[in-house]
Amino acid sequence: MAKRVAFTQLTSCWGCDQSLVDLHLGLLDVIPELEIVYWPAVVDYKLKDLENLPDQSIEFGFVEGSCRTKEDEHLLKVMREKSQTLIAWGSCSCYGGVQGLGNQWSIDELMERKFKTADTVTNGRIPEENMPGFTDHIKANTEIVPFELRIPGCPPTPENTLEGLTALLQGEEYELPNKTVCDECPKEREHKTITEFHRTHEGKIDPDRCLLDQGYLCLGFATISLCGAQCPKVNTPCKGCFGPPPGVIDHGAKIISALGSVVDMDAEELREYFPDTIGSFYFTDYASSYLSKITSRKKKEETT
Amino acid sequence: MTDERTIRIEPVTRLEGHGELTIKLGKGGKVKDVQFNISSTRFFEKFLEGRLAEEVPRIAERICGICPVPHLLASVKAVEAAWDVNPPKPAEKVRRLFLNAKQLSSHGLHFFALAAPDFLAGPFADPSQRNVVNIIKSLPDVGKLALQIMEYGQDLVCAIGGKSIHPVTATPGGMLNPFSEEHRDNFLERMEDLKEWTTDTVKLAKKVVDDYWDVIENFAVVPTYYLGMHYRGNYEIYDGRLRVMNPEGEIVENFPAKRYRKYYGEHVPNHSYATHIYYKPAGYPEGVWRANSLARINVADKMPTPLAQEALEEFREKLGRPTHATFAYHWARVIEMIQAVEEMEKLLQDPDIVSTDVKLSDVEPKKGNGVGVVEAPRGTLLHHYWTDERGIVTKTNLVVATNNNIGGIEKSLMKAAKQVFENKEHENLNLPDPMIK
Repeated sequence: MAKRVAFTQLTSCWGCDQSLVDLHLGLLDVIPELEIVYWPAVVDYKLKDLENLPDQSIEFGFVEGSCRTKEDEHLLKVMREKSQTLIAWGSCSCYGGVQGLGNQWSIDELMERKFKTADTVTNGRIPEENMPGFTDHIKANTEIVPFELRIPGCPPTPENTLEGLTALLQGEEYELPNKTVCDECPKEREHKTITEFHRTHEGKIDPDRCLLDQGYLCLGFATISLCGAQCPKVNTPCKGCFGPPPGVIDHGAKIISALGSVVDMDAEELREYFPDTIGSFYFTDYASSYLSKITSRKKKEETT
Repeated sequence: MTDERTIRIEPVTRLEGHGELTIKLGKGGKVKDVQFNISSTRFFEKFLEGRLAEEVPRIAERICGICPVPHLLASVKAVEAAWDVNPPKPAEKVRRLFLNAKQLSSHGLHFFALAAPDFLAGPFADPSQRNVVNIIKSLPDVGKLALQIMEYGQDLVCAIGGKSIHPVTATPGGMLNPFSEEHRDNFLERMEDLKEWTTDTVKLAKKVVDDYWDVIENFAVVPTYYLGMHYRGNYEIYDGRLRVMNPEGEIVENFPAKRYRKYYGEHVPNHSYATHIYYKPAGYPEGVWRANSLARINVADKMPTPLAQEALEEFREKLGRPTHATFAYHWARVIEMIQAVEEMEKLLQDPDIVSTDVKLSDVEPKKGNGVGVVEAPRGTLLHHYWTDERGIVTKTNLVVATNNNIGGIEKSLMKAAKQVFENKEHENLNLPDPMIK
């Protein structure tokens, strides 16, 4: 019998949805197994339809995106009530996503910039009528409600989602791998000590050699291997968008400490190479870092 | 007793993004207000500040998972403009191929998954019937057609960008990875199939257009301004000047993107987190413009490829220039699909497409500011960045594709609401039998 599933989008780019659609003809095998009870991107059910479902009546609830608005928080809580198995789907859901970078500022500063001081704005104000209001800062969804499963990725590859979904449909365990992107990267690694870093636009990359060995900040060594090393394979440094391997809580802290053992430079020198520590080391998971929590607490204290 | 009421549709479905609809009805069913409430935003404008400019494209493309390629390219072009960098010619060709591949897959997704369910299952079908999943089940041939077209586009995006969603290879100064001969051969080989699927899509679209002619001609027809890119009058999506057409069909502006602030106004409504972009000299709301496929088709004098030009002529013969019919967006999208396929074939046959000379090695950051514009599937997309001497972004302004349309969407929703609630015109519409029973 088909399983009752729901796909919901909190604030996000909808890339996780597109990734599911990217199964293409593979969808023909999956779709008959699913009874879709909610999926606004595709099916015309309304929020009320979801709210009116009996508790625990969704077998698999997929949650994409993070809580930027109070409406997102409501939807997340409804999904928790209605779902037997709740799945944090994608890096926004698991770690807060790129919008977590906004936690460097207060929500007032963010709103001010967008709605009042942007160069082209002609009548600045904060929209309020029929608007849900924003959350103070971004958190990982897993810090707001409990989840049974996580499938990280920005977005997860179609294969990641299919693997997770197939495991669920067959009642099997789905476990995240304890490997890193480097384990899947075909480039030759010499484990050289790094004496200088280059920015990605600088010089020309040797396609056969490890990017980190060449002095490009490739975060494959500290990032979970779920993507198949797709970026380094096309000569582009890994930015860590799938987050850390299991067991690592603070991705950026892990990256910085691991870098310490491969570079031959003092802390000041390293700092000069990376003037934007947060953007460089916490791409999609700043919101779930210790640093973000400390900053958010300080911002809150300042305003109260 | 009063018959005043407010209708809330939450959420608006088959939409990328978060939106609700509020319709306020007064006495006697008079439509007092229609609001398209876009209920979320992420504040990229602010959190791109302080980042290394060459890394910004990889963050900024996360604005949209359906159309990351145009964001990546507009963002990279903005950094290149700020730093006075011109990538090698072959890199530009690869980027054009990249953008057309995305245009194809996005239009396939839009036509089949977002729009077609209303036509194939009929607008009054049960919600559980009106979706692409049901098309796949009930009309497997159409479903397969849709999936194959999307697959070709997404595979090609992945072959160029390393990932089909949030691809990575475009960087200030060119492309980090050349397009390989193996990929070129593979996509050329599959081109015959793609052309056949496109022809089948055109046939299906023609049937839909014929069946729903009454709706196209009469429903939600609203005059607005239009914004779109062109190159010497030709339809263009990667690099050109911008045109503004007034509701009467006259081209009233023709400017390079870097001068956009003279023409672009951004109105902040009280009921939406998405701002309404408009033609500043005309003021708001008079200057509300629309972008996207219909606008591009309206502002272009001609299409640069033969089959697309033929399709444009047929479109103009039936609907004129400009056409303000909101439902004509679907037809315009099909013309653009033909154009994308023709341009992709031409580019795949160009020897430069597999050149390894696709990246400069001497790009230097500098203090400056730059505007990057491309046509995204949903309309003209603009990124504007300011950088300091080290190449760190100090300020940004983003005018994303869809925002160009929100004012126009509201206008057409108001018109449609009046037609539905006040004049009951939908009762007289001549609707065909749905293809999905």
